[in-house]
Amino acid sequence: MADSLVPVLEAQEKMDTDKMWVIWGPQHPFSHGLWTLKLKIDGEFCVDADPIVGYLHRGWEKETENRDYARIIPMTDRLCYCASMTYSHLYCMTVEKALGIDIPEKAKYIRIVADEVCRIQSHLMWLAAVGTDMGNLTVFLWAMREREYFLDLNVKLCGARMTTNYPRIGGVRNDITDLFDRDILRTVDRFEKAMWDIIYLIDDSSVFVSRMRKISYLTREQCANMGLTGPAMRGCGVDFDIRRDDPYDNYDKVDFEVPVLNKETKVGDTYDRYMIRIEEMFQSCDIIRQAVQKIRAIGKNAPYRIKTPTKVPAGTTFGRLEDPRGESIMYLASDGTDKPYRLKVRSPIFTNVSCSKVMCEGVRIADVPAVLAQIDMCLGETDR
Amino acid sequence: MSYEYTSIRDFIDFPDPYDNPFTPFLTSNLPYDLSYGLWQIIGGTIAWLINVIVPGNGVSKWLLCDEVSVVFALAIFMLVTFIVAFVVVLLNLWMERKVLGRLMDRRGTMIGLKGFLQCVADGLKTFMKENTIPSKVDKMTYIWCVSLIVGLSCFVAVMVPLSQRWYVVNYDTGLLIIMAFYALAPFFILVSGWAQNNKYSLIGGLRAAELMISYEVPMLIIIATTSLLVGSFNIGDIVNAQDEIWLIIPEFLGFIVFFFCAIAECERPPFDIAEAETELVEGWQTEYAGMKWGLIMLGDYLRGSVSCGMVAIMFLGGWTIPFIGETPIPEIIFLIKAWFVFFLMILVRGAIARVRPDQILNLGWKVFMPLAVFNLAIAVLLKIGGFY
Amino acid sequence: MAMKYLDKYPKNLAKSLWIMKPVVTAFKLFCKTVVHRPVTILYPYEKEWIPENYRGRPGLRFDRCVGCGMCARMCVTQAIKLIEVEDDNGNKVMRPQVNVGRCAFCGYCAEYCPVDAMTVTPEYELAEYTRYDLLYGPRRLHYENTTPGMEVKLEVTLPSDIANGNPERRVHIFDVDKPELTDSKCIGCKKCSKVCPVSAITMVEKGVNDKGRPIVRPEFDNSKCISCKNCVDACPKSALEIKEVL
Repeated sequence: MADSLVPVLEAQEKMDTDKMWVIWGPQHPFSHGLWTLKLKIDGEFCVDADPIVGYLHRGWEKETENRDYARIIPMTDRLCYCASMTYSHLYCMTVEKALGIDIPEKAKYIRIVADEVCRIQSHLMWLAAVGTDMGNLTVFLWAMREREYFLDLNVKLCGARMTTNYPRIGGVRNDITDLFDRDILRTVDRFEKAMWDIIYLIDDSSVFVSRMRKISYLTREQCANMGLTGPAMRGCGVDFDIRRDDPYDNYDKVDFEVPVLNKETKVGDTYDRYMIRIEEMFQSCDIIRQAVQKIRAIGKNAPYRIKTPTKVPAGTTFGRLEDPRGESIMYLASDGTDKPYRLKVRSPIFTNVSCSKVMCEGVRIADVPAVLAQIDMCLGETDR
Repeated sequence: MSYEYTSIRDFIDFPDPYDNPFTPFLTSNLPYDLSYGLWQIIGGTIAWLINVIVPGNGVSKWLLCDEVSVVFALAIFMLVTFIVAFVVVLLNLWMERKVLGRLMDRRGTMIGLKGFLQCVADGLKTFMKENTIPSKVDKMTYIWCVSLIVGLSCFVAVMVPLSQRWYVVNYDTGLLIIMAFYALAPFFILVSGWAQNNKYSLIGGLRAAELMISYEVPMLIIIATTSLLVGSFNIGDIVNAQDEIWLIIPEFLGFIVFFFCAIAECERPPFDIAEAETELVEGWQTEYAGMKWGLIMLGDYLRGSVSCGMVAIMFLGGWTIPFIGETPIPEIIFLIKAWFVFFLMILVRGAIARVRPDQILNLGWKVFMPLAVFNLAIAVLLKIGGFY
Repeated sequence: MAMKYLDKYPKNLAKSLWIMKPVVTAFKLFCKTVVHRPVTILYPYEKEWIPENYRGRPGLRFDRCVGCGMCARMCVTQAIKLIEVEDDNGNKVMRPQVNVGRCAFCGYCAEYCPVDAMTVTPEYELAEYTRYDLLYGPRRLHYENTTPGMEVKLEVTLPSDIANGNPERRVHIFDVDKPELTDSKCIGCKKCSKVCPVSAITMVEKGVNDKGRPIVRPEFDNSKCISCKNCVDACPKSALEIKEVL
């Protein structure tokens, strides 16, 4: 009987009938933005995945070539709506490097505070997405509620919630407003207490944890080969954080830990990638506290913005920074005029999403949203 | 009877329906009484009007004769029982939206009677929508499946008795019949998943089938346990047996298992893998839109309310209160218990995430199944020990 | 420094009773929000408190504006255009018009306005029925309750000041950038004096040329100049250049 089945099986193999392509996106509840994931499924299991990005391409890099340096800053906000502050920070940092100037101490600390607020709110957005991807709306709304307090801080700091347009070449847009330091310390304290509720909801629930545990293992070598960066990489045992290892601004003067899991085994699963981000939020709170103390020590009337020349000397500059999602890089080629010759952005998500093929191999269909939620998709910067 | 008089009171005289030889109910049935009285008013008025125009005709006589009265009273009876079930479902829906809102630190629906009318408006909205049928579906199966799913759900919903006097049928195997029809709908979900010519629907339908198969068995074992303890499948007997002590106390394990099985059975989150929206857009409902989708949602919630009613009957003493027994408002007592169970369901929905299909099967076969059998063993011991 | 979360997690979940803790946590919040109100606000009826420096639509103080066009120059989305309107005395003047449909709410116009005429306003409910209605003319841009907090001050320190040990913040430091004339390129066409919004440029005769025609050269009144760069843009021979003071 077994012999008679062989030609049938061979024919099946040839026709590839037992596997099915399921196409998720560009409009699909799991895709946070416009992108497509093609999944080849064999029963319940995915055997292949193929991410397609580029639906949101708007010629960002080319557009910068027609603007003078100051007018690019609002555009960098639009790279990623969640991490707008880090991107404008990165841009300003790169241009300052090209100009060869040193910005005031106070501006450096204010940027640290703004960056960490941005990191926390971006991670909370990610946490909310994890909640909905796993099928629980409570986590979504609780995380969004916490995020709202940090957006309020953005409003107090610079008058806008998400597209902040705050860092400037040579400093920041405005000094911290009255009572901002008090407000931010209160918000951070409050957040650290409220965060435990969400943690109880996820980490103490065997449903959540068992869905993330033991799926989609990534090794340290795979991370290196695919260029995976950020919290996902640190979950797989790679002990690397630009804030600590290549400090920019004043990150070398604040004391914080870089959470890394699986340093020995060098293999991480989805839950490890999840835990890194939660711990990062707590570490960001510590950084904010220290930076606010430093700002208070510097005093009220200290300068926070210096005047910079409008023309950048010819040459190339390379700036990088730890984005909430990974390592983002800007590469600036200037030709001595007041407009950049070329501005290249290396987006962490664009590299991370290309790992989805490896991440999705061998997981079940129901796990794919949970696995890909750890990438923390943001299409604005991916497609640029 | 003579028909020479013309006063309206002569037509509407509210006779006892149980004197009527054609009444299908043997014991007192409140909705039937109401419907019979209603028909007396409606039919009597019509008969009187006709009699005023054409005195001494045969139609007036025909409208109020025993046989016709029963037919029309049963038609009204159907409407009354369905409307009550429908209103209970609307209240369930409203409660879910409100409680889930408060759970998530938001407000839920707000407009109209604290948000209740919002549910009605949402239902009406789906009826206003265009009735679209995708071109590549198997049209007959596509349409008939949704009718059968919704019809069966309505059927089961009206089958659940609200009290000793509020029932549709009073069989000795009442519980089994409800379960049998309850378990029928997932077959049509499977078929409609095939019929829709959509990969999401196909996977969703298959998932619904596997969910049904793995959760039907522990559920039925627990029903068997209950009837073993009580000695009857009759719902009234099961409720009466809980006069002194609710069955939740001897069968606590069974309660927990039945509760989760009931959530899985009506495909509510966290066991809604058949319509898991992050993976399968809307699961087997993907191709249904407008009124059909609204009806499917109605069916879902009807099944949810049936689940809650079953838990209330089997474990929480139905419409009685321990040591007090029957109250003047047994229906309200029953509904309050069912709503409490629904509240627990909402709590579970708000607190935990969707369970993966393979975990659901593991849970069903490796956890709930042994627990149900263990529960059966306890029941057998209790029965042998003479406690029941 | 210790980790706050990774020290306690991951936990042995058998000890936390499967799903009991999340259910209890959710129920706690349910009880809390039943007694108190949820955190959400009922938007059309209640509104969130917004600070003075909130970046809503741009506002314009008509009497302060000099029509220099700095806002239009700095606008990242080219939403601002200078149009001709009558001022209170009936004179024709150039004033900015904002297309709010294009506006990115970056606040650059208020930040770079040399006379603080442009402000940010806390007005954010800007929906209109047609796109034409989204054009905010100079008079419509006026916001009644403009407070000093809505002005965005450009407080900048000069690097040379810091090097001298005087880290003083100066408001509108870009004013120190003055146009400079390359005398050999100038043809004396008077365009710069025509476009100057504050009449800081006067054309002065400086002798005669070979043909006996008078040589006219612009002279800058630095106390009036607001460094708006209009003269630089208007110069047909690129004789003018902004000299940056750093």
